[in-house]
Amino acid sequence: MAGVTRQAAAIGGGTGLAPGRPRRLPAGPFALVVPGLLLLVVFFALPVLALLLRSVTEPEPGFANYAALIGSGTYLKIFFNTFLVSAVVTLVSLAIGFPVAWTLAILPQGVAAPIFGVLILSMWTNLLTRTYAWMVLLQRTGVINKSLIGLGLIDAPLPMVNNLTGVTIGMTYIMLPFVVLPLYGVIRRIDPAILQAAALCGASRFQALRLVLLPLVAPGMAAGALMVFVMSLGYFVTPALLGGTANMMLAELIAQFVQSLVNWGMGGAAALVLLVVTLALYALQLRLFGTAGLGGR
Amino acid sequence: MTEPYLEIDGIRREFGPVVAVEAVRLTIQRGEFMTFLGPSGSGKSTTLYILAGLDVPTAGDIRLEGRSLLSTPPQHRQIGMVFQRYTLFPHLTVAENVAFPLVVRRRPRAEIDAKVKAMLRLVRLEGFEDRKPAQMSGGQQQRVALARALVYDPPVLLMDEPLSALDKKLREEIQFEIRRIHQETGVTILYVTHDQEEALRLSDRIAVFSKGVIDQVGTGEELYAHPTTRFVAGFIGDSDFLTATVTAAEKGRADLKLGDDVIVRGVPIHGDPGRPGAKASLMLRPERIDVATAPSSAVDGDRAALPATVEDITFLGASIHLAARTAWGEAVAVRLPYGHPAAAGLARGQSIGLGFEPAAAHCFL
Repeated sequence: MAGVTRQAAAIGGGTGLAPGRPRRLPAGPFALVVPGLLLLVVFFALPVLALLLRSVTEPEPGFANYAALIGSGTYLKIFFNTFLVSAVVTLVSLAIGFPVAWTLAILPQGVAAPIFGVLILSMWTNLLTRTYAWMVLLQRTGVINKSLIGLGLIDAPLPMVNNLTGVTIGMTYIMLPFVVLPLYGVIRRIDPAILQAAALCGASRFQALRLVLLPLVAPGMAAGALMVFVMSLGYFVTPALLGGTANMMLAELIAQFVQSLVNWGMGGAAALVLLVVTLALYALQLRLFGTAGLGGR
Repeated sequence: MTEPYLEIDGIRREFGPVVAVEAVRLTIQRGEFMTFLGPSGSGKSTTLYILAGLDVPTAGDIRLEGRSLLSTPPQHRQIGMVFQRYTLFPHLTVAENVAFPLVVRRRPRAEIDAKVKAMLRLVRLEGFEDRKPAQMSGGQQQRVALARALVYDPPVLLMDEPLSALDKKLREEIQFEIRRIHQETGVTILYVTHDQEEALRLSDRIAVFSKGVIDQVGTGEELYAHPTTRFVAGFIGDSDFLTATVTAAEKGRADLKLGDDVIVRGVPIHGDPGRPGAKASLMLRPERIDVATAPSSAVDGDRAALPATVEDITFLGASIHLAARTAWGEAVAVRLPYGHPAAAGLARGQSIGLGFEPAAAHCFL
């Protein structure tokens, strides 16, 4: 955006305008944004605003809905579950995603491309299909339990569905590409000669990782982590299928308020909590890393 | 000569079917400025990377003061290196970049601060401590890289075409700095470049690389005055090559026939001509050719002369370049200093004689 305006101004400066004449900002670039903005306002901002308004107007004006949310142990447990699962999913995704992104970045293009294909293909596969596939794998009589029992490693099947373990496994798998892709982009931009230079400066592998590599990939990690954490906070399908009713997460709660209980007020309040947390995290990210890790410059 | 300090002993490096370095053997003295000069793909950078420990030879050994370095990983070789590209750590300031080798060695803070200060003074970048690399010019970045490579007093400094990304004026400025730093620190430097002028300007000795082997090692003047291969003769300085036939050869001197009837006697010959009649090339330096306005192939004392015609004359300030063609049609470039009497009154199409001293010419097979 800034680049476009600057460039346009530079072109304007070259057309021989009299010095001192006030320069008008070119309208072109802004005009291009208007349709998109309009769409967002009508179909996103207004409905969200309407929902949030209902949280302080229904059933009667005031903050009773919020008091009810915060005052109830059940609801607090749902918040806690949501944040716990999201945090664990984020951490595990980073732990698995970093080596994957690193390997992809240093592999020859011809080898990396098919691996990317698999990664992207899994993103394009229907979410329900993928979640049901995990149910098949994780359930009491599923492939994993049967194999482990067959190998004699466990006596009784491990409970991996209808609990948060299942939710975490399923969501980590779904979120992995969202960590790998931004990390890959950041790692690819690092000149391998910088790591060779670190070695010749006397840095051990661990020192090179800690003092050079991690600080350089931190923006990418932060971008990936933010995306995964925020998406996890509002995730619905996987927690609903793999978590069971006893281990509800926030999105399920909102759905229940709105669909089953037709309590738009409570639903709106829960949604606002989610929105505020998300925006706060985004602000933190911007403050720490700017827009660097989000693909901007 | 003292005992060898750094020995490169028969290094070979294959990349699949490609032999990048064939059999490089070289001994470097302590404190020497040695340049690896050659075109790209001649194996000079590969040899340097093997010395750094960033590449592993297929065969051969390298020894520093008699100790093999091959089993030592790069971070323990204590060898400094400046790369072709700017490899400063982009997230660290100039001072933090220079301090990096000392930080990873866990030196005390006071020592680090003092050393960084001294290094930045050495490369003339005082006052730039808190800049980030992205805020500096290419020349400044390479000077920071130099400071970072030297800060822990490595016995050997490797430089891989460090100035190739800079413009000519800046390059000359930093070449001068590198020379000064070499004199001030006494560090042994191995420097890779494809720029012969840079090699001549900087080095104590130059190793000329060609197709994975070292063709010749010597001071700039030795390589210029006594090249032993046609490649070295062509790579260092400007040169004219003329096709010739060996008519007789003994004790390293040859008699050559050029064109149909010009005989040049007593030219130093490199390589064994076998029987007379072998094809060879006669190498002349353009600035060592004299111009006589009378066409002549007569031998005047020790000098030989080739009949030729002037094709073009270019005035280049300090010198005048003459494009001439021999009577049998080979192009010869001649360089006359400005104000040389022979240059006055030369015209295109004029017949001239190109005079030279056979003993100062070279014949390659």
